[in-house]
Amino acid sequence: MPEKTFSDQQIIDSLNARRGKIISKTGGWFPGKGVFSHGYSMMDDLVGKKSYFQIVILNATGKMASAEFAHWVEVGYSCLSWPDPRIWCNQIGALAGGVRTSAIAATAMGVLATDSRTYGVYPLKEGVQFIQAALVNHQQGLSAEQIVASVPSRGGKPLIVGYIRPIAKGDERIRAMASIAEGYGFPMGPHLALAMAIERVLQEKYDEGMNVNGYVSAVMADHGFSPDEVYQIFTTLVASGVTACYLDTYHQPLDSFLPLRCDDIEYQGTAKRAVPTAE
Amino acid sequence: MQEKNANQVRSRNEIFAERTSTKIYLEQASDDNPYIASAAVCHGYGVNEVMAKKSFADVFYLLFRGELPTPDEVQILQQLMIALINPGPRHPATRAAMNAGIGKTDPAHILPIGAALLGGEHQGGGIVDEAMRFLRKQQTTDAATSAAAHLESSTPIPGFGAYYGGIDILANKHAAQLAQLPGAGKALQWGMQMSRALEAQGVGWLMPGVAAAVLSDLGFQPRAGVCLYQLMGAPGVVAHGLEVANKPITAMPFVADEQYFIER
Repeated sequence: MPEKTFSDQQIIDSLNARRGKIISKTGGWFPGKGVFSHGYSMMDDLVGKKSYFQIVILNATGKMASAEFAHWVEVGYSCLSWPDPRIWCNQIGALAGGVRTSAIAATAMGVLATDSRTYGVYPLKEGVQFIQAALVNHQQGLSAEQIVASVPSRGGKPLIVGYIRPIAKGDERIRAMASIAEGYGFPMGPHLALAMAIERVLQEKYDEGMNVNGYVSAVMADHGFSPDEVYQIFTTLVASGVTACYLDTYHQPLDSFLPLRCDDIEYQGTAKRAVPTAE
Repeated sequence: MQEKNANQVRSRNEIFAERTSTKIYLEQASDDNPYIASAAVCHGYGVNEVMAKKSFADVFYLLFRGELPTPDEVQILQQLMIALINPGPRHPATRAAMNAGIGKTDPAHILPIGAALLGGEHQGGGIVDEAMRFLRKQQTTDAATSAAAHLESSTPIPGFGAYYGGIDILANKHAAQLAQLPGAGKALQWGMQMSRALEAQGVGWLMPGVAAAVLSDLGFQPRAGVCLYQLMGAPGVVAHGLEVANKPITAMPFVADEQYFIER
């Protein structure tokens, strides 16, 4: 067993050089001098002059988006701020209200739940990855139909993140976001054009369509954002809906949200048995 | 953009379960109130009976594995739990908990804050599942050969690595101590050979790797390994957070402006 660490002295030296120091590539607050973010003076250049969502995008990516684009992102947040506690993240908020946690705990834990492989924010990464890769393939000659045919399928339908919405068919949120984009005159980019072509294939062959993930992923890709940047911009996407669900149950009687009797849980485990005596 | 009304919202009318089911726990209803349990059963064993007859580590194992452990199994599990009980005051999870404590954050939040950081992929539970899968797959290969191949290709070895530029001596000591126990299994023994083969390069066991080996040998699933690492480290994280909770914010360092550099 080693008592010697066989360490790399250069790493030790580089760590020593950083002890007690903060070296930031982003910004910081210097009392009396100002607050700086990505090269901007926050109080002089940003606060009151840029929208909150422009600052959200700046902090998430280092990029300053236009007011119009930031508003479109805000509309995306609005679309995901539904106060329905059947949605998994929102139900965490509702359950939190029932046990009287703080509103911040409830909201933060609901947001955490959207780091999910099946819904919420994390799949946006895969949505952007898909449409970016699909566009490369499309530009190399693959048609939308061939792209759909090339993906794995489940239950006889192609499995593509951003298409085929769970729980319901169709997605009213796309119309809401698209109308804002059209109002601002955002040009149709190649990612969105391909996404719509893919949707047409799905409609014709499977009676399925795009969901809000597919639409947002395509527009974000057209605006030059990477999969990670999109994930970072939308980290707290569902927060407001979770807060709403928390408050709904917080103000209702204790234990009254979807109360469960003992026999509402089906026990499928081992039958009652005695603890074995020590050998 | 929507043709054929494909975006007209229609429920899929999927069939959901009418009741939630579990193999872990049975709460037996009382005679006069179906919401109040009069007895609880964990994988078949009455909770009051195991309270009286079994250790915490026994029941911890039972909860996740469905059966009570053998004496050898519970011995190595309990020693692992003690090895992991405190990531130490320098671990980012502990520092986050201490930040919460010194900042007078609601004490109820110290645990989730610390546990979230203890789920990271670097020095946390976030790598335990990958390390468990790696150790399971590797047991038929020669450890020295595998070590040489990884060093040659500079590919990461899940559960092993350099820690602050060198070998994590504590992790290696814990692994060696655990490997002496009768409950030590193939993954841990293979990992010991791996760490010896890597030693001269300043690479060795990392704590998540040690946990992965023991948990793998005990039959836990990789996904459980992530959460168990968080659970087992939580006591120390919380203890450090609470230790500073009554102190003024000046009791911990605050980097001076002169030591704050913005590089762009």
